[in-house]
Amino acid sequence: MSDEKNATILIVDDEEMVTSSLRSFLQLETPYRIQTFTSPVEALQWLDGEPIDVVIADFMMPRMDGITFLKEVREKRPEATRILLTGYADKENAIRAINEAGLYYYLEKPWDNDQLQVIIRNGVERATLFRQLDEKVSELESAHGDLAGIRNRLIKALI
Amino acid sequence: MSEAESDSLQMLMAGLAHELNTPLGAIRSNRDVLQRVVSRISDILADEVVEESEIEQLRSLVEKIGDVVEIDRAAVDAIADIVIGVRTCWRPDASMRCVDLHDGLESTLLVLRHEFKNRLEVVRDFGELPHVECYPSQVNQVFINLLLNASQAIEGAGTITIRTFLEGDRVAVEISDTGSGIPPQDLGRIFEAGFTTRETRSGMGLGLHICREIVERQGGTIEVASTVGEGTTFTVWLPIKPKGPAADEDSRATDIRTAEDHPQHSG
Repeated sequence: MSDEKNATILIVDDEEMVTSSLRSFLQLETPYRIQTFTSPVEALQWLDGEPIDVVIADFMMPRMDGITFLKEVREKRPEATRILLTGYADKENAIRAINEAGLYYYLEKPWDNDQLQVIIRNGVERATLFRQLDEKVSELESAHGDLAGIRNRLIKALI
Repeated sequence: MSEAESDSLQMLMAGLAHELNTPLGAIRSNRDVLQRVVSRISDILADEVVEESEIEQLRSLVEKIGDVVEIDRAAVDAIADIVIGVRTCWRPDASMRCVDLHDGLESTLLVLRHEFKNRLEVVRDFGELPHVECYPSQVNQVFINLLLNASQAIEGAGTITIRTFLEGDRVAVEISDTGSGIPPQDLGRIFEAGFTTRETRSGMGLGLHICREIVERQGGTIEVASTVGEGTTFTVWLPIKPKGPAADEDSRATDIRTAEDHPQHSG
């Protein structure tokens, strides 16, 4: 289980000046591991096998838009908190994103660093809780299995 | 200005605003980062004695300043490019000038970047061209209109090919799209004032009749060839040097606005 301090933040925007600005800020103010991509396709490839807590994606990107990208992320890493950071302010897309990609937050450019930091912190907490819940559920499942085994042995021994 | 014209302009402006918003967002964030870095450095220096561990911190903060300044440089360059593009396309032409048409095409592509970027591939098949004596902004307006038309003729992904070549004492700029094409019955009429194919192609940008006026006033011609389902090619022919006294009395940027005075409005 990755604890909150070691959380990984994935940032995808086709403009490098955006990804590097976000990285500069987050590296200064947060302890998180920051991974950036300018290509959503490459980001998806990287995602395989990586623990991930928060994903921030642009909307308008070549080859794959941000909503499609976040939908794919949802398939691969359902526990990751998904945030759309877009300069393309329109309600229709926001609603579509919230519904289709299970969006946690919709943020407009130019963004406010303080606000972004709070959203990411909450997103990390949320992802961590999800992961802990998953672990508890599997602990319970295995405990349930153990109990069933004991019960069966008891039945055999007693009857 | 007709409805179709103002729609196109509005769309272009929205695209440009979006293009400016990206570097603006970066610069804004970086200014905030710089403020934070400066206040941390001030904090470290406040107690007069700088400890060994703090030197390391200072070093990384200074490094951070360097990084952020570098990003800002790229962002400012991006804004400057857009400003140059807008200026090249909309600055009133006081007089004819000898220009490289490829520069004008690059400026118009920059202005249209937002419209194209996620959907269309632009192929540049540029030949060797001499400088052409013309009204550069007006010619760029023609390119913008033809490129916008091409973009609007293509539904979903597609390709726009720009070919340029020299033939005798004139140059050609050919703009082809892989769009829906124009039906034969419309093809002969698309340069008529007031004619619109808005029903068949979603919006025609500024009127093609204005494009033709602009080109002809500079001694050039504009041609079209189209196959339904395959695409359309517009070819703008311009003389390297217009013969005789070219129409330079009334041709300021107001040429574009002559659409307003036209009795028949398109759109």
